[in-house]
Amino acid sequence: MAGLTAEAKASGSLAVGRRFPRRPLVLTGLGLFALAAIGMLTMMYGAITLSPAEALSGLTSDSDGLARPVVWQIRFPRFLDAMLVGATLAVAGAMLQGVTRNPLADPTIFGLTAAAGLASSAAIVINPQIPQWAIAMACMVGGLSGAGILFVIAYRGAVSPVRLALAGVALSAFFGAIIVALLSSSRTFLQTSLGFLAGGLYASEWNDFRSVLPYALPAFAGAFILSGRLNILSLGDDIATGLGVLADRTRLAILAIAGILTASAVAIAGLVSFVGLLSPHVARYAVGSDNRYLIPASALVGAILVSSADLVAKLVIRPSEIPMGIITAAIGAPFLLYLVKFKA
Amino acid sequence: MRLAAESLTHRYNGRPVVDGVSLDLESGELVAVVGPNGSGKTTLLRAMSRLLKPAAGQVFLDGQEIRSLGARGVARRLAVLPQVHDGAQDLTVRELVWRGRYPHQGLLQRATAPDHEAVAWALDAADLQPLTERPLASLSGGERQRAWIALALAQQPRVLLLDEPTSFLDVQHQIEVMALLHRLNAEGMTIVAVVHDLSLAGRFMERVIGVRDGRVVFDGPPREVLQPEPLEAVFDIPMLVLEDPESGLPIPLPRYPAGMGSSSTAAPSAARGRP
Repeated sequence: MAGLTAEAKASGSLAVGRRFPRRPLVLTGLGLFALAAIGMLTMMYGAITLSPAEALSGLTSDSDGLARPVVWQIRFPRFLDAMLVGATLAVAGAMLQGVTRNPLADPTIFGLTAAAGLASSAAIVINPQIPQWAIAMACMVGGLSGAGILFVIAYRGAVSPVRLALAGVALSAFFGAIIVALLSSSRTFLQTSLGFLAGGLYASEWNDFRSVLPYALPAFAGAFILSGRLNILSLGDDIATGLGVLADRTRLAILAIAGILTASAVAIAGLVSFVGLLSPHVARYAVGSDNRYLIPASALVGAILVSSADLVAKLVIRPSEIPMGIITAAIGAPFLLYLVKFKA
Repeated sequence: MRLAAESLTHRYNGRPVVDGVSLDLESGELVAVVGPNGSGKTTLLRAMSRLLKPAAGQVFLDGQEIRSLGARGVARRLAVLPQVHDGAQDLTVRELVWRGRYPHQGLLQRATAPDHEAVAWALDAADLQPLTERPLASLSGGERQRAWIALALAQQPRVLLLDEPTSFLDVQHQIEVMALLHRLNAEGMTIVAVVHDLSLAGRFMERVIGVRDGRVVFDGPPREVLQPEPLEAVFDIPMLVLEDPESGLPIPLPRYPAGMGSSSTAAPSAARGRP
């Protein structure tokens, strides 16, 4: 009898806490609205201030002589870049957290950011005139190599999530040191280097967006397709194998996609940290842990996070600006501490 | 659906754990695999369910080599519940069981009518309907085990392999799980379970296979093989086999050395003979 009441109580309290299916929809709507609002503010504020009407006309027509170049050539592409950087890092983080079942996983901690950054800074040091498309390509090579090295090191008969994390931390420190060595040995661009190391969207333009999109879009599609398999993988390797998911092959594919997504972000904004860590946790709060919803939701959260951080970075010491990565780190680091203390 | 192993051999660090085992499991059989720890039961089960690639030998599912069927192809016909499965504690029972549909679903995992039917059937069969919205972490050990079995059932397998499905469960929950296996078998499913409790094996299973040092030592119906001699050959301790007064089925017990245990002084008659 006692057992029966205890059971009834447990199910009763859970029924109250159950997520309603409407909640993810409402929150997604709110997220899209927030993104649009940030976009509007981004079009309006900067070195010069535009009215909402001017900003809109600059976005939609060539007629306004002043607003058009400011909005269409500078602010709008920069906003697109910010969203893309946020979405790529967030999806990479969600996939890494899923594949390692480690809430602290993200592209920076796993060394993917540093791997792409190393390739990018090596390319720039070798040829300072290198075109943006070649930087993007170098980043892809770096990100994919980082993912491959990570997999090979963590593989010993099977890939263990713990070994992945440990190898990632070591690689991150190692590649990070080489990046700083490379950049400090070349005298020319100290200012640019600082922006690259901290992560920022200073002077980012259409070209950045275009050069990265051919890699990022297929990677997003791959992430979405693999999201179901990631769900199965979270049940443990044996269960996943029993359900027809080849655990290590799936891990390799997920690492490769995370590598491409991270490289896309690095090609545009340099070494942005904490976005990949933070965004999936916020998204998980909204839609739960089913990766089929979590991955798109993380992309939205990441886009909001980076575009709003960039807006703050532009405005805080106007007319000058601080690197956007400093803002995400300022939000992300305390959040990481919170996770360590209360969640992980 | 017939499951057969041919000369299966597997080694860990050069030591054979499964040593040339050939087995033939007919459609609709209800089989227990027993043996001491480290005898190779688990490795045998894993090799037969494609969780592990054996060093030598082959496994056939309805005459087809199991590696030629592809991971998903096997998962649509054969389900396996490994010994350790502690992931996904935050999932609800329904979410967990839905994941058993994975091998039947397409790229985008859109749920079809057969998916809904299979999940409902699995939840019914495992008696989980009142618990569907509960997270796994909130369930008792027996309930959780039934939820994981339901995950395997949602695959709609013709063959179900389980590694120690009743370990860590109390008597009532052990019976619950065994009764579930019995019901599933009555519906035509071939079931193979590694079982540690010999009396459960004797009571519920139709065929018992005894394994020691990676080899099959005995194989047959419980009444024939759950006898002192075959059991002693597998477990290496003196055994006593009682007869269940209600069913007539064998109840094997270890025979304790004289002077061991509290009953030896208080009630020496308890271990003297058959009832």
